[in-house]
Amino acid sequence: MRRLFGVLPGPAPVRVLLMIILFAVGLVALGFLFDAAGDLLDNGGTIG
Amino acid sequence: MHTRVADSEDLLPDPEVVKEPVRPMRFVRGAGWTMIGAGALILAFLAYQLLFTNLLNSRSQSQAETALEERFEEARVAPLEPIVLTPLGPPSTIGQDEPEVPVTTPISFFEEALPEIGTAFGRIVIPKIDLDVVIFEGVERDTLKQGPGHMPWTPLPGQAGNAVISGHRTTYGAPFYDLDAMEPGDEIFVETLIGQSTYVVREILIVKPTDVWVTDNRPGAWLTLTTCNPRFSARERLIIVAEMVDGPNFEYAQALLDGVIEGAGF
Repeated sequence: MRRLFGVLPGPAPVRVLLMIILFAVGLVALGFLFDAAGDLLDNGGTIG
Repeated sequence: MHTRVADSEDLLPDPEVVKEPVRPMRFVRGAGWTMIGAGALILAFLAYQLLFTNLLNSRSQSQAETALEERFEEARVAPLEPIVLTPLGPPSTIGQDEPEVPVTTPISFFEEALPEIGTAFGRIVIPKIDLDVVIFEGVERDTLKQGPGHMPWTPLPGQAGNAVISGHRTTYGAPFYDLDAMEPGDEIFVETLIGQSTYVVREILIVKPTDVWVTDNRPGAWLTLTTCNPRFSARERLIIVAEMVDGPNFEYAQALLDGVIEGAGF
């Protein structure tokens, strides 16, 4: 995290904002990934 | 006594000696962090699937309860008018005994229009497995997250033909979690705009996910429930086939079955 913070451009407040955005994007991506992987456990039982 | 003051070269570790243990240590540390990360990811995945999806479903169901209550309230104010059908006449008796009671009275048929995709349109109650949930129109991913969904290309529950409802087994509220406990003879109640229909389980099957024949239409009035099998796997499908034994359209379905009247879709 610290390394990532160091790599980000701009002054500290901008970096914090970018970190928050990256975190949100990561969460959404993780949600999609979990949803897709969840189909292996239970895809709703549809036929066809 | 002579003492030698250590110079800076003496304090530095011999590079040959130090480098060797550092490499495996780095590898072990890296592998350790990778495993911790993977474990955290798996735990997060399980928490998402088994807890978070249930929370999402619980919220959807409670909103759907309100919507369904409004829908039913509107139906109470302006109830659906039955379509009265006149029987074709007594079935052919050539080569058979005379029917004891020839069908002469008109038969009422309650038609219900297909709701829009994603609409909460009814309720399924299975006392045996303590299930009482709102059902939705459609079997898209987002619809099934809210609750069991009706396959739009099959008749609605309560109508003649084979109505098919699919539902999650282990995630998103897991409405069909205990469906494997169902046995022939168990009752299933479905309430829609036309009223409550009662079904009795006749058959329990385990099929492949591609066995679409289970959704085929059939004479009479049927309800087919489908879900994943076994639990925590989408490898197979558990199918519960139930026959209507009571409801607003029961007489109509029986008349269709007996060939006393003609209906669409058969």
